[in-house]
Amino acid sequence: MKRLNYYLLLFIGLFFSTWLGGQQQFTLSGYVKDSGNGETLIAANIYTKDNPAQGTTSNIYGFYSLTLPEGNYTIVFSYLGFTDKEIEVELKADARLTVELIEGVSIEEVIVTAEAKDNNVSGTEMGTINLPVDNIKTLPALLGEVDVLKTLQLLPGVLSSSEGNAGFYVRGGGPDQNLVLLDEAVVYNSGHMLGFFSVFNADAIKNTTLIKGGMPAYYGGRLSSVVDIQMKEGNNKHYAVTGGIGLIASRLTVEGPIQKNVSSFIVSGRRTYAFDLAQPALEDTNFKGTNYFFYDLNLKVNYRFSDRDRLYLSGYFGRDVLNYNSQLRGFNFRMPYGNSTGTLRWNHLFSDKLFMNVSAIYNDYEFSFAGSQSDFSVAVRSGVRDYNAKLDFDFFPSVKHALKFGINYTYHQLTPNLANATSGDVEFENALQVKYAHEAAIYIQDDYKISQRLSMNIGLRGNLFSQVGPYTSELTGKVYDNLEPVKTYLGLEPRWSAKYSLDKSASLKAGITMNNQYLHLVSNTTSTLPTDIWVPSTEVVRPQRGIQYALGYFRNFKDDLYETSVEVYYKDLRNQIDYGESYVMDVAVDVENDFVFGNGRSFGAEFFIKKSKGKLNGWIGYTLAKTDRRFEDINEGRRFNATYDRTHDLSVVLNYKINPKWHLGAVFVYGTGNAFTPIKSLYLIENNLNVEYGDRNSARIAPYHRMDLSATLTPKPHTDKNFSSSWVFSVYNLYNRRNPFFIYYFTETNEETLNATASANQVSLFPIIPSVTWNFTWEGKKADHPNEVF
Amino acid sequence: MKYFSIKSILILLGPCFLLLACEEEFIPEVNSDPQDIVVEGYIEAGDFNLPPYVILTRSQPFFTAINFGTLDDFFVHDAFITVFDGDNTVVLEELCWNDLDEEQKELINVLINQSGIGGLDSIPGNVCVYVDFDLEMTGEIGKSYDLRIEVEDKVLRASTTLQNRVPLDSFEFIIPEGNLPDTLRELRVVLRDVPGELNYYRYFTSINGDRFIPGFNSVIDDALFDGQEFEFPLPKGEPRNTSAGPTTFGLYTLGDTVVVRWTNIDQDNFNFWNTLEFNAINQGPFSSYTRVESNVEGGIGIWGGYAAYYYPLLVE
Repeated sequence: MKRLNYYLLLFIGLFFSTWLGGQQQFTLSGYVKDSGNGETLIAANIYTKDNPAQGTTSNIYGFYSLTLPEGNYTIVFSYLGFTDKEIEVELKADARLTVELIEGVSIEEVIVTAEAKDNNVSGTEMGTINLPVDNIKTLPALLGEVDVLKTLQLLPGVLSSSEGNAGFYVRGGGPDQNLVLLDEAVVYNSGHMLGFFSVFNADAIKNTTLIKGGMPAYYGGRLSSVVDIQMKEGNNKHYAVTGGIGLIASRLTVEGPIQKNVSSFIVSGRRTYAFDLAQPALEDTNFKGTNYFFYDLNLKVNYRFSDRDRLYLSGYFGRDVLNYNSQLRGFNFRMPYGNSTGTLRWNHLFSDKLFMNVSAIYNDYEFSFAGSQSDFSVAVRSGVRDYNAKLDFDFFPSVKHALKFGINYTYHQLTPNLANATSGDVEFENALQVKYAHEAAIYIQDDYKISQRLSMNIGLRGNLFSQVGPYTSELTGKVYDNLEPVKTYLGLEPRWSAKYSLDKSASLKAGITMNNQYLHLVSNTTSTLPTDIWVPSTEVVRPQRGIQYALGYFRNFKDDLYETSVEVYYKDLRNQIDYGESYVMDVAVDVENDFVFGNGRSFGAEFFIKKSKGKLNGWIGYTLAKTDRRFEDINEGRRFNATYDRTHDLSVVLNYKINPKWHLGAVFVYGTGNAFTPIKSLYLIENNLNVEYGDRNSARIAPYHRMDLSATLTPKPHTDKNFSSSWVFSVYNLYNRRNPFFIYYFTETNEETLNATASANQVSLFPIIPSVTWNFTWEGKKADHPNEVF
Repeated sequence: MKYFSIKSILILLGPCFLLLACEEEFIPEVNSDPQDIVVEGYIEAGDFNLPPYVILTRSQPFFTAINFGTLDDFFVHDAFITVFDGDNTVVLEELCWNDLDEEQKELINVLINQSGIGGLDSIPGNVCVYVDFDLEMTGEIGKSYDLRIEVEDKVLRASTTLQNRVPLDSFEFIIPEGNLPDTLRELRVVLRDVPGELNYYRYFTSINGDRFIPGFNSVIDDALFDGQEFEFPLPKGEPRNTSAGPTTFGLYTLGDTVVVRWTNIDQDNFNFWNTLEFNAINQGPFSSYTRVESNVEGGIGIWGGYAAYYYPLLVE
């Protein structure tokens, strides 16, 4: 409580200090947009030319607010990949200024990740990276499918969960410890096809922000990271159709103004078709009707109904569907699963200094399976459904402060593996209970520029999580009514990060972040599967807690041409969850009864060097890290390497623009081999060989390394026509490295003679894979009568 | 009967990738930890009340090929083994195959054949079994049996209880669904589970007098069907490394004589077989290891009590 009082006093102090300045101050505010399509630009930099420290950045809606003493200024608007715009402003009253920036720069410049100018050095945030999607499209991609989550894995501190997989681990945290948001809606399962592709269709996405350390108080509910993805709003100047044909999937996006500069829409779809094409070949086999496909649909409309009000409605719907049909034994099943999200947002400007956003969000992840064979049938379903309301304010009282505060409430409904089966006339049901919970949070944070050299981001987040009825306690037998609290947890999370500038191009940063996590997904595999289920904190499962300490040195060279950084971190993780060592999947048992609990820690150093401009650009990231866990019930209580432990992890990403027509991309990755549990011995029971395992994760498979190349050909780069297209040729695993994917043992015993053989085999997944993708864009620049469309 | 493993079905999703996959041999590091003593011992009641017997072996570091029958030091000799049934204690006597006369061999074979262990005739070398040869103690339903093994300065302990039996009834061979040869039959049986008590089942089948082979998923508990009566298919037991393809797997052949051995076991036994079978079929990228849950303190393996019914059937 004392700590809370301290923070309250601090904030009140900050508020009042704002008004005691004496000199008259005025506010310049507005939006920063892309002149080409009217899309707002996120995290654009706005600062005074004379003193770049007097500056701000646009928020996720492209809004900025800069309060300065009365006077004449040259205001610079900059966003990497766009030409800077300088505007003379005579500030003697509050003023609105919406600025459109032009894509491209006079010198040929290609940008890989956008962190404008020296933001890297001057901002207070640590471990935060902004990744506009346009900049990843020229990098090589597995089977040509551009994937934001896989690009994130090329950054230091972010590991891929396994070969070719979009699942990721951040700084030693599990896959459920990443908060993945799409237009503010939580995406509970971000993978298609067992995670080989993410659910994010790059054509529908504008921007991705990764926060792996120093999570601001605005975010919560997960221990390790935030991946905040914003969908495009839709071109509000003219119609455009973009699309592509690839080996795995094809894409089509249509966007345009509904009412020019007032409202616009975007509809974007993607679907796979490899198995559809194979259907004729299956026609005469016993597997007729077997098919697999996935699809995504992204929709968004926005409407500006006044200068101060804007409404956004966005949605995502995606499914993986597997149909299996074997006439051989009359066995068939259907297994669809996927996410649906919907977000309705209202932006309102109370004043030039106070920006509000209200969101109503619905999201749903559902897995289902229905199979049958003769008169036996089984159906299983599981999922998560959230109803979420949020109220967020951005308040810019002075150039020294940027405050953000708000409240957030979610009603969770978590469905375990509900199974029912019929055998003839008899029905079976597992008696698992759907669990319900309230989750609420209140937060405040201030980005406070104390002096030219010192700035701080201070925040506090308070959480409440309460499992509620209907529920019957397995521990006490007590029956809870609708919405009656079963178990309530409270959490207080101070967040702090600070920057101290050593000189114009170098700074030191430090941060402490505390987090609580109330929803958990526990997987006993290296990657998550659609069958893995999310469970709430309950009487049995306590919230996961984490605290992260980070320290960084940031330095830019050659007028910000090269950005470098070294960050070290230490994470203390409590109430970590795993399955017991003798876990057997059983649909009749509530998974929380199979859980065991323990603690973890993770520490490491991340080195990053990035060149954002010039014909040749890219980055090199290297991480040296250690992650382990200690569980009373695993490994007889001895510390063991976490599945997420990778000692060395190196990524090299290069882009080279040969000329306007040809563009090359290359990626090289190297990582210490995954930890696995080795065989200790073999033994005989019922004349069959059985495996006895050694210490958990005490052996390693061979190191992982791979190189990918891509070449993008734009035949007519400067065409004036409405239509343009490009070809992306890429080669995955260029030198055909056989990276171990998993190891399995094969044992055989002749039961008559007791002759036994055993072998271990290593399976490698992807050999060298070339692919080609054709992308096109049609822009109806002359379309001037958009009202007719809707 | 057992639910389809969704996880193994998921692996079907991967074929398009696995077509690309390639395999090579992996040489594991050989673990130098001391070997464990492996207990495999049973006692049975029901249609036959059988005496306790135990086979004691050693776990082996990873190898590529071996014959257990002739392997030096595979069988653990000179153990002092007792079984206590709450009233009496018997000492199990170590008998090695080569020292037995024909009558003794026959008795041992009958015993061993009941479990999933095959006949000992064909095994080269000198197989040894600890057994209450004088039949001083045989299994009785409802009783618990404490096993105690003193060997090489170690003491191993385990306990098992012979459960109440729950019978099967109504056996029927039907023509299975699908495009299959017309000589194959599926066995349908009816179980009337006992309400309000935890029941754990394990079954085996023997074809034409051969040894009993456990079903591929040989154990199940009644968590999903407590107290219910229902019909379900009972697949033929297949050896772990069966060559039976999807066409014939688990199906019976017309004209064969089948004996179904239907048993009730205790929870520890269920956990052992459940983890052992789960571990044997779940390997690969979507699976972690499962440590087999042994009921033997101080060693690994199983001390198991079976309460069994035997149902001879003709496939017709």
